[in-house]
Amino acid sequence: MEVGHLSDRTKIFLLLLPAMFIIVVLFFGGLMIGLMRSFNYMPVIGLTEPDLSAYISVFTDREFYLSFLLTFHIAFTSTVISSILAIGAALLLRRSFVGRGIVNFLFQLNLTVPHLVGAIGMLYLFSQSGSFARLAHEFGMIARPSDFPALVFDPYAIGIILQYVWKEIPFIGVIVLANMQSIGEDYESVARSLGASKWQTFRYVLLPLIFPGVLSASVMVFAFTFGAYEIPAILGANFPAALPVLAYRKYTDVDLAARPEAMAMAIVIALLSAVMIYFYVRYSRRRIRG
Amino acid sequence: MTHVSIKELTKVYPGATIPSLDRLSLEIPTGELTALLGPSGCGKTTTMKMIAGLLEPTSGDVTFDGRSVLRDKPEDRGVVMVFQNYLLFPYMSVADNVGFGLKMRKKDPAEIKRRVGEMLELVKLPDLGDRKPSALSGGQQQRVALARALIVQPNVLLLDEPLSNLDAHLRFEMRDLIRSLQQEMGITTIFVTHDQEEAVVLADRVALILDGQMKQYDRADVFYKRPIDEATARFFGGHNFIPGTSDGHVFDCALGKLSLPEGATTGAGKLTFRPENVRIGTAADGQNCLTSTIADVIYLGTQTRLKLRVGDTALDAVVNPNEIESYAVGDTLPIHLPRATLWVI
Repeated sequence: MEVGHLSDRTKIFLLLLPAMFIIVVLFFGGLMIGLMRSFNYMPVIGLTEPDLSAYISVFTDREFYLSFLLTFHIAFTSTVISSILAIGAALLLRRSFVGRGIVNFLFQLNLTVPHLVGAIGMLYLFSQSGSFARLAHEFGMIARPSDFPALVFDPYAIGIILQYVWKEIPFIGVIVLANMQSIGEDYESVARSLGASKWQTFRYVLLPLIFPGVLSASVMVFAFTFGAYEIPAILGANFPAALPVLAYRKYTDVDLAARPEAMAMAIVIALLSAVMIYFYVRYSRRRIRG
Repeated sequence: MTHVSIKELTKVYPGATIPSLDRLSLEIPTGELTALLGPSGCGKTTTMKMIAGLLEPTSGDVTFDGRSVLRDKPEDRGVVMVFQNYLLFPYMSVADNVGFGLKMRKKDPAEIKRRVGEMLELVKLPDLGDRKPSALSGGQQQRVALARALIVQPNVLLLDEPLSNLDAHLRFEMRDLIRSLQQEMGITTIFVTHDQEEAVVLADRVALILDGQMKQYDRADVFYKRPIDEATARFFGGHNFIPGTSDGHVFDCALGKLSLPEGATTGAGKLTFRPENVRIGTAADGQNCLTSTIADVIYLGTQTRLKLRVGDTALDAVVNPNEIESYAVGDTLPIHLPRATLWVI
């Protein structure tokens, strides 16, 4: 091969190299090191005999299961609620009405607000010493601000879910709206003229058409909410804590022996979310398009 | 079996000042195949959508057998529209597409299966039920779209440019299929097209719409023989318009005094005649004979188009190529205009 006459395959390979480097070295590299540590394998400090002790202690700890259930509940509920509301919002926003531009802008505004800031806002508004509690007290609806229902630090993770829903509706909504706009309304017109009611048209035509967009957006939301640390750390109850919070606690434990456990937990989180996403994609595809 | 009446139908889109459709009235007898013909943007598709209930008219009425349907929801009108780009649901098999309307009516799955089979047979695609629409050719997709529409046994069938996306050889096949199915099932059918050839080939009657207004509503041949005005004649390929005055029998113009058929209008007007009605040679009765000079010869295979001059007046003629084999540009060519083919507008 002459220089300057690279084949297309070589060119593509070279162009992809920087991205590949980041993925392979940083991502898989980190994953490999995490994996090694989770097996108690760390030649640098003399640990040359890999074992499963970290995994055993993760899986024999009752807190892990409670944390898993809580984390699944947070991720699943947030994803479902924000997907449904986002589809509803997109259905409204694609119609033409006076002031649509402004509504659209407001709808997307909180995309720019960092999660952390949103969480602190939630804290100010919804905690038992927060604005809503005080307002409710002021208007005599509750005797003391602390009688306000526990929406943050609560066992059902309502505050966390609220925060995720608030943040993810515009994210999914923008994707779904773009999707709807590119599809247009003609398919729905066909369905109506073939005798489908409004609901049937949505269920059998629009929903399957936007489904790939909804699916990829909601998978991203699910994976993010399942693995995110900062929101449950700020808004979550102490026990049980969400899995990433639990893992981080182990990682920063004074007892260095807890570190492999933290790594094992991180690996488990990654595997679990991959497995759940797989089933979610399979199941929902069959339900919507079958 | 539905007689469709359109009365003063008007549509002004929000924010527009000029109506997209301006007081269109049309009677479409039961079981007829009618074309709405006009250039893009003349309001044809708007009309169809209003008949189908997919768009609300600004004013006017649409009645089926004398009953206004404007308050009926699209799914209750018994009108099915087949779109130009077919719009088969891409995630469904061909069979599911065809059976869609029956599924929405909650018919028994066994019955759906049977009727889908029959319908696919009818449109000559019996073995393609399991395919996805993306695996079909354009012509096949169109037939699936037609099957999907006909399976619900609509009272009125609307077709949006049914032939325009097809290759020349598929057009006649599709035309025959549409006509035979339509006649067999007796469905009142309206289709829109911008192509006069498509309209003439397929329709019992043609409604020509220009600038949101109906120009003429007649059997197809009338548009060629007796167009209502110059714009209509031009839309149908008319080229010859010669100003002058008519006294009802003779048209006095730059070509001389030409003898007119019975019933010609009187007063100032334009004489028009089809290019294909210009005859070479002198007439046996000596009427309407002219001497022309050949300005250009355009060979079109089965016919030849001639640009002729009579004095300062340019004429267009279409003749059989054999008739002018021995002539060249610049030659003098005797022609005549048969009296019955002249028309004053």
